Amino acid sequence: MKKEIFALSVICLILIVFPVALFAYQAWRTNEPGIRTIDLVAHAPASGGWIPDTINVNVGERVRLRISASDVVHGFEIPALGIAVDEILPGHVEQVEFVAARAGRFAFACTRWCSVDHWRMRGVIQVIDPANPDQPPPLAALPLYQQMKIDIDAPHPAPNVPAARPAAARGARLDLAVPDDLRNQSPSDVFARLRGDPALKANSDTDLWDAVAFAWKSAAGDAAIAHGRALFARDCAACHGEGGKGNGTAGRNLPGLAAMQVSASLMSTVKRGPADFTDASKMLGASDVLLQGKILRGGMGTGMPEWRTLYTDQDMWDAIGFLRSFVFDYGFTK
Amino acid sequence: MTTSRIELTGIPIVKQLLVSRWLQWSLVAATLPFFVLAILTGLAGTPAGSRNFGIVFVWIVWWALLILVLVPLAGRFWCAVCPIPAPGEWLQRRALVQPREGGRLFTLGWKFPRRLSNLWLQNAAFIAVALFAKVILTTPFVSALALLLFVTIALVTSLLYERRIFCRYICPVGGFIGLYSQLAPAQVRVKDHALCATHHDKTCYTGNERGYGCPWLVFPAALDKNTYCGMCAECLKTCSLDNVALYARPFGADLLTNNGRRFDEAYRGLMMLAGAPLYTVVFMGPWAEIKQAAYAVGSPNWWGYALGLLALMLVIVPGIFFACAALARVIARVQTPARNFFIDYGYAALPLGLGAWAAFSLSFVLTNISYAWAVLSDPFGWGWNLFGTADWKWTPYLAGGHPILQIPILLVGLVASIAVALRTAREQHVSQRAALPIVAFAVTFTLGLVWLYV
Amino acid sequence: MMMTWLDTRRQILIAATTLLLLGAAILVPLPIAAAAPQTHTIAINARTFAFEPATVSVQRGDTVKIHFESLDAEHGLYIDGYAVNIQAEPGRSADAAFIADQEGKFKFRCSVSCGALHPFMIGELSVEPDLPLARASAVTLIAAIGAVMFFWKD
Repeated sequence: MKKEIFALSVICLILIVFPVALFAYQAWRTNEPGIRTIDLVAHAPASGGWIPDTINVNVGERVRLRISASDVVHGFEIPALGIAVDEILPGHVEQVEFVAARAGRFAFACTRWCSVDHWRMRGVIQVIDPANPDQPPPLAALPLYQQMKIDIDAPHPAPNVPAARPAAARGARLDLAVPDDLRNQSPSDVFARLRGDPALKANSDTDLWDAVAFAWKSAAGDAAIAHGRALFARDCAACHGEGGKGNGTAGRNLPGLAAMQVSASLMSTVKRGPADFTDASKMLGASDVLLQGKILRGGMGTGMPEWRTLYTDQDMWDAIGFLRSFVFDYGFTK
Repeated sequence: MTTSRIELTGIPIVKQLLVSRWLQWSLVAATLPFFVLAILTGLAGTPAGSRNFGIVFVWIVWWALLILVLVPLAGRFWCAVCPIPAPGEWLQRRALVQPREGGRLFTLGWKFPRRLSNLWLQNAAFIAVALFAKVILTTPFVSALALLLFVTIALVTSLLYERRIFCRYICPVGGFIGLYSQLAPAQVRVKDHALCATHHDKTCYTGNERGYGCPWLVFPAALDKNTYCGMCAECLKTCSLDNVALYARPFGADLLTNNGRRFDEAYRGLMMLAGAPLYTVVFMGPWAEIKQAAYAVGSPNWWGYALGLLALMLVIVPGIFFACAALARVIARVQTPARNFFIDYGYAALPLGLGAWAAFSLSFVLTNISYAWAVLSDPFGWGWNLFGTADWKWTPYLAGGHPILQIPILLVGLVASIAVALRTAREQHVSQRAALPIVAFAVTFTLGLVWLYV
Repeated sequence: MMMTWLDTRRQILIAATTLLLLGAAILVPLPIAAAAPQTHTIAINARTFAFEPATVSVQRGDTVKIHFESLDAEHGLYIDGYAVNIQAEPGRSADAAFIADQEGKFKFRCSVSCGALHPFMIGELSVEPDLPLARASAVTLIAAIGAVMFFWKD
């Protein structure tokens, strides 16, 4: 009988104590007093996206996110809090910690292309001040394009297009005076102003375009352009293509494309698909504010995500600064 | 029929181990935690199969151990230590180690229906697993459910029926490891049959205070093939004449025994034969449409895949073999029905089958077993790192060089099958030329696998 | 088992001959005239869970340049037998180049966990002429014939 009791105890150990120990170990590992530990699981959006996609914490809480991926490689970023995890491998767990210092809504998103619906993979962390739980978040300023009443959906072909790709390096050597406030003018507009300047009559069109290219490059600055390049590689290249031609592999089957209506009254055909940034006519006819508007707002169902909740203003100017390098030669060594 | 054999239980330590009632219990107690962990991780762990203990340690590690080591060397020994029937058996016996005084069992003790007392249920179970194999092998939750299903069926059958009905008549794994155990170099047999004739009580089958009657409903005194012997050594304990022993013997010795050859077994051998190239195509080939069809259970493509699988395993391969057997009959010029030729020669397909499954499994395991090192440290995929190996990366072993190992394995199976085929013709007292269609089948099959693997 | 002296001698002869022929089939160099090496530039796309194209065929000695792109998530390209292990995701392609100096069939696999069927995301690189297949087939036939003769009892 003693044998049986011993044998049964061992079996009970295996069947009961062992599982309890496993889960207890996990509970002990993941719970630290004073820290709000939240399990955040990343799924491709078709399988659920971020679970949970809304996280509510109180101001002042120390938050620990245990992020795991269930299917493919995901990334994670809370841009407004400066938190980023570049890679979460399936079956792995990455941890980030932060203190919810101020109240507000902070968007988070996946930063690795994880599926056709990657751009939908977003969530929000709501930091609530228990003293003022219903306080509405401060109103953000209207985006520039709305302030200036620019129709970002209207076609914007450049009336003047350079014969060859303008080179910023050549423009630097010319050292021509270029207007300061470039943001709400298109490169084509600036070219037209320069062309109309009697002092520059002797300069060829090529010279003036080079000067425009240089103006844009120096207005952005090398650091911004480098940052924009990184953003483009991470967030845009999948659909717009590594060469900016709009032929990225993920841009081929975007959900809204087939539904895009092409108005018969428009003289130019609207390209169905991600924008081609190497199209000089379109890019040179668009001001930075217009481009910012498109990036902020997204494509209204075409598959172009909205970046307003994720990108800071500086992120957008940086990205736009880089986008110009598809029509301007900034001297990058590939 | 006595083949040359060495009595391993002649070695005192071996005898002591096998006669001890603690041996089987402790081996099951050793496999049980792995089983429990496999189910827990499957249910609660990461859905990413390559980081989940339930997938990696069942379908890669355990499978490798079973088909590459245990079956070829120890026959159906896994059945003795398998955790699946254990809870039901302990409940039924109302004991874990020592038989109870009075020996009353906690079961209704029904006899399993005669119509089902054959291999057909197991054949059907194997087909069922094969149809859903793509999902079971890749989805931890489904894999855990499958294991729970087996445990539940085993438990319920233990409470309704006598002995280990699940193991004998239902388990899909038992169906084929039983057949392939005929090739193993180990056997549990009676020492002296004449002595059995003098023994009226037949405690090897009825049990006594020292142990239980054979859980696999085998009559040890008549045991001449490994097919249904789970190597649990109860009969070694209960035989009051100490007339049962564990022997080492030549590989494939059971194929030399003509008694008890059955259609359901021969058919299963052919089904398994068809399974090896099928699994190779579905798991290791470059044909993504087939894999996706196999995975999308319930979709029209899956129905197409299912029909294809059923046709191949149930009709095409057995059918072609039947045609070869019929041709053998024509060459033999005898009146014996073709069905008998199918059954007799069907056993020649067993070495071929085991070789094919071993070759397939070897490649599969070499490619994927490196997942096991990381999974040991983080079985749930919860971010643990118990042994420091959680970040070890996937590394396929001997990548590109698997054929060097696979071809010899296939050839051993082929040569053995040819030997058995020729011998079959001789024991039928017909011209050995009658075996040639079977040889042609075996060679064609092997060439097909060579094309898939090399 | 009764075996006459002649029987044993016959079997030894057959076994020895078979082994010799097997050795020859495996080791004897086959003088196949090699065509002039070409350069292949191949675009391989990966999507869950397939490679497109799933089969690639080149001649021994050819230079193979692979441009690897992913259509949906991060995938890897690992080629058995060749030191190629690159990763790509939409927006970040990868390139690899190697000389196909070993003949035979080599599987290429996804090396980044990408979902349920990830371990079965497989393609095949075929480097012609497929001598290993020819040798393996010859070996199979020789072994079969040798076995029939060896186990045939007069």
